[in-house]
Amino acid sequence: MTTLAGIGFTTPWLLLGLLALPILWLLLRAVPPTPVRRVFPAVTLLLGLNDDDSLSDRTPWWLLLLRLLAVAAAIIGLSGPVLNPTQGNTGNGPLLLVLDASWAGADHWTQTSDQITAQLNEAGRAGRTVAVIRLTMPEPLQFLSADVWRKQVAGLLPQPWQPSPDQITATLDYIVASEVEFDTLWFSDGLDYSNRDQLTATLRDRGELKIYQTAINTLGLLPAKFADGAIELQVIRSTPGSAEQITVLAQGRDPGGTKRVLASATAEFSPDAETASAKLILPSELRARITRFELKGARSAGMVALTDDSLRRREVALISSQTDNEGLVLLSPLHYLRQALAPTSELYEGALGDLLPANPDVIILADVAQLASDEEQKLTDWVEQGGMLLRFAGPRLAASDISRSEEHPLMPVRLRSGGRSLGGAMSWGEPKTLAPFVEDSPFHGLAIPDEVTVSAQVMAQPDPNLAARVIAELGDGTPLVTRKTLGQGQIVLFHVTANAEWTTLPLSGLFVDMLERLAVSTAAKPPSLAEMEGTTWTPIGILDGFGRLSDAGTLSGVDGPKLMTELVGPDLRPGLYDSGSRKLARNVLRSDDVLRPSAWPAGVPVIGTVAAPERALGGILLSLALVFLALDVAASLLVSGLLHRSRSAAMILVLVLAGGLGLPAYQAQAQQDQGLLGLSSELALAHVLTGVDQVDGIAHDGLRGLSSTLRFRTSIEPSEPVGVNLERDELAYYPLLYWPITTDQPIPSVEAYAKLNAYLRAGGMVLFDTRDANLAGSGANSPNARKLQQLARPLDIPPLEPLPADHVLTRAFYLLQDFPGRHQRGELWVEAAPADAEQIEGMPFRNLNDGVTPVVIGGNDWGAAWAVDGNGRPLLPVGRGFAGERQRELAYRFGVNLVMHVLTGNYKSDQVHVPALLDRLGQ
Amino acid sequence: MTTTAASNATDLRHRAEVEADSLPPLLVQAEQLAGSVLLGEHGRRRAGMGDDFWQYRPAQPGDSRRLVDHRRSARGDQQFIREREWQIAQTVHIWVDQGGSMRFASNPDLPQKIDRARKLALAASILMVRAGERVGLTGTTLPPRSGNMQILRLAEALSHDDSTDYAPPEHHAMIPHARGLFISDFLGPFDELQLALTKAADRGLRGVLLQILDPSEEQFPFTGRTVFESVTGQLRHETLKASALRDRYLERLAERRDALDQLCRATGWRMGLHHTGDSAQTALLWLYHALENSTS
Repeated sequence: MTTLAGIGFTTPWLLLGLLALPILWLLLRAVPPTPVRRVFPAVTLLLGLNDDDSLSDRTPWWLLLLRLLAVAAAIIGLSGPVLNPTQGNTGNGPLLLVLDASWAGADHWTQTSDQITAQLNEAGRAGRTVAVIRLTMPEPLQFLSADVWRKQVAGLLPQPWQPSPDQITATLDYIVASEVEFDTLWFSDGLDYSNRDQLTATLRDRGELKIYQTAINTLGLLPAKFADGAIELQVIRSTPGSAEQITVLAQGRDPGGTKRVLASATAEFSPDAETASAKLILPSELRARITRFELKGARSAGMVALTDDSLRRREVALISSQTDNEGLVLLSPLHYLRQALAPTSELYEGALGDLLPANPDVIILADVAQLASDEEQKLTDWVEQGGMLLRFAGPRLAASDISRSEEHPLMPVRLRSGGRSLGGAMSWGEPKTLAPFVEDSPFHGLAIPDEVTVSAQVMAQPDPNLAARVIAELGDGTPLVTRKTLGQGQIVLFHVTANAEWTTLPLSGLFVDMLERLAVSTAAKPPSLAEMEGTTWTPIGILDGFGRLSDAGTLSGVDGPKLMTELVGPDLRPGLYDSGSRKLARNVLRSDDVLRPSAWPAGVPVIGTVAAPERALGGILLSLALVFLALDVAASLLVSGLLHRSRSAAMILVLVLAGGLGLPAYQAQAQQDQGLLGLSSELALAHVLTGVDQVDGIAHDGLRGLSSTLRFRTSIEPSEPVGVNLERDELAYYPLLYWPITTDQPIPSVEAYAKLNAYLRAGGMVLFDTRDANLAGSGANSPNARKLQQLARPLDIPPLEPLPADHVLTRAFYLLQDFPGRHQRGELWVEAAPADAEQIEGMPFRNLNDGVTPVVIGGNDWGAAWAVDGNGRPLLPVGRGFAGERQRELAYRFGVNLVMHVLTGNYKSDQVHVPALLDRLGQ
Repeated sequence: MTTTAASNATDLRHRAEVEADSLPPLLVQAEQLAGSVLLGEHGRRRAGMGDDFWQYRPAQPGDSRRLVDHRRSARGDQQFIREREWQIAQTVHIWVDQGGSMRFASNPDLPQKIDRARKLALAASILMVRAGERVGLTGTTLPPRSGNMQILRLAEALSHDDSTDYAPPEHHAMIPHARGLFISDFLGPFDELQLALTKAADRGLRGVLLQILDPSEEQFPFTGRTVFESVTGQLRHETLKASALRDRYLERLAERRDALDQLCRATGWRMGLHHTGDSAQTALLWLYHALENSTS
């Protein structure tokens, strides 16, 4: 391809044709325009006047220019110009495509893969073999034909991590292993990472290296933090420069369970700033629903921050037996709990019966012994469904008989009566200290301050299963904290009080840590490395390069410390991890990450991939030539004075031009919109298209007849009736669907039935017409009736009954007692009246059917009786003679009543009662 | 006469009446009293023959006895003679060029020259008929008569198109010493006009020539290669560069007008020029004065 001024030409020699333009200029100039014929009575005065000048009048220069432009456009158009032609790669040896394929490139991966395809095409044309390597997922180099790779481009997806040093090393190994010389195209995502220079050097040694790099500024979203009642979101960018506004969206499930944007915040980068932060203050209820934060419009794993428990504040219900006394705050059993939990949890206090429906995560009973039996039952159910019940002992519990002789379901152990006190004035012993926590205790690893002593406690009754339930004990081996599981939940008992009466434990930091370990409170901070030691986390959802969360499948668990320290990679995928009691989100970026733009050594050509794709200009130029030619026609007419005579020709010309510019498509679109607009602004009756032309035609003509009757007689003015295709069309516009039944029509699809049911529930009405007049008479045994049963089975139809004599249909507009169509006798079925409908005293009618019957079923072939031709004359004969005309009239009246009923509901029915109501008011 | 012609005539008359409404009746000055033998309602503000009372004067010797007004004379001893106002009707001959060259308008917004000519002719006729003059066409088609019916006849007679390109002026059957009103574009052969005017002058006719031209005929705004055709297409002239002809055309037009002027001066007629682009009212006003005052 030859390139001139940035435009490539497939057949450049055609451009030689441009040399002919000056000749054309001379030729066109020599041919004068056709003479203008003018009527001029004073021609007598002109006779005998000769032109002085033997030269002819010339074609105006602008007309010549127009023609030349047209010819030039045609010549250039035919020579196949291409805008932004792919620069030919000069080399012809093997080619290596290196892709960063990290999350940073995911946002514009489509362009990148287009570019890759273009390069592969180019290489294919040049017959070069190609190898592709992704730095985030290195594999041994395979030099294959470009066609093979082209099929795999779609599978080359970005990974949600940056190339790690290990992966670079592996890549270097692979490069060393292949012993061919190759040129390299490196599709970089624009971020720096370690060992990149080494790779650059190696690749330059092997051959020519070109970099394709996006010029786009890479953004990243750091994990959300919760501090001072607000969520802090930090956005970082790789290249500081201009001021920028970034919208961060908080996504989660609404109470209905659908995913939506729950909140959004704007982070503003000041010029030259690398980070910007946004704060989001949300009620805890809403905050708990957030599952992820992401940058608006971004498609990259690095622009997503998943949330875990750290944002979620657990709801804790505090219940004590004793009403709080003013002035005795420090003695309140709940005081220390409040202090310990308030910073990290949502606290509720109140009666158990009020708090249980709120379904808190944890319920703390501080020295509560007995519960009402139904409350106990509810509490047990709640625990079994995963609740955590935390109980504290105290004087009341010690005094009560609960869990004495046999284990109470809401107590982890049996208790000995009375408890014990140590180190008091009347005792020999010293107050006891805590024993170190054993390894399988949830408290393992917590440091025990010396000052924590216990001076009184309730004692557990020795049991075979007591040892398994103890999770903390005193120095002398007596249980301090016991735990048992119940259903999916657990019950924990502190054998001491929650205030400082029996122990100093609530005064120490250990108390807070223990509550945290028990997952009563949630840590606002991520767990420390020491805590993570020895834990295993299973992935429950992982992010792909585009930031989509997918099921983790069978990925194996990850060690706690590794989760905290290691970089994300194939072995540690970003996503959500679960350790049983708490969830942890491992995001692509960690809170101290920064993004550094990649710098390339001098001498390596860097090409932006954001450059516009190849674009053939031939079509545009050729149509431009056509436009010029059309203008030339107009201009020639103008010059020869014929334009005013051929207005129609000018109109045609304008239309042709418009056609060339794609106006018709726009008009068609506009027309369609117009159609829908018309439907929504005007009432139209509709019939279901059965696929049998004759039936559909009659139904359409019938509805047309009914529409005009409505227009003449009532204030309902329907527009032209519409045939609806149940599979395709929206039904919501039509108040009434006329559905003639034929045996030949197909059963609609499940989706169509769903649509129909929604339509019926929303107040639509379907008039089924079996057109055989014997639905009721012969027990629904005609072929059409059987078809109707098939058709209507999936529909959500209420119980039906033959139309009662006082149904509102009999008096919605006309007073009617039978409803003939083309047939006379068939019965009409409508929604059954409620059983308790009663006749009001003094009224001729029962107060029936509050609402519109969703279906009307009959067989009188109304469509045929209503049908009129284009001139408004009846299409089909009904009955005989005058009686037949009367029958047709009644059929129309039925139609009017039916439409009235659909549109006014039971309003007409109520109207009938108005005189009686007024009468009563008068009394 | 076909219905179309009749309705055209009615329409023409209507339009002319509208045009004439704004002017008082046109009194064509009688130039030669002796020549007018026919009495009319044309009061001359002096004693003479007529029907209307003018004044009483004492009888003088030589007065016919028949002229003595006995009712007046019986009041005293002196005999009075009742004089009547001198009333005389002037005769006006109208010729409107109905040839093809008049059926032309350079622009759809402009009226055709012939329309304007007919309208002006008829409007002038109406004014004159109201003043009691006798109006008719030259030639034998419609001899001069007075009265409102004549207007209708005139309107009818004026509604006939001539098939030739340039109609020669009709100069037959002109009553001596009457007045003439010739309306045309005078683009046709000059000889015919000369003949007609000389003949009229011989008979003592005085009158007015009104030349009606289209603005394009005055300006010649044409350029480029053009074929000029007469209205019926009998004459044609092709030029490669119409703009080059402009000056020479205008020169010729001026020559023609000079010739007309000279002819008028020689025969005692007055010459007027009207463009269809201008208002008809102006032209009618000019006609009004010209006809009223045309003295030799």
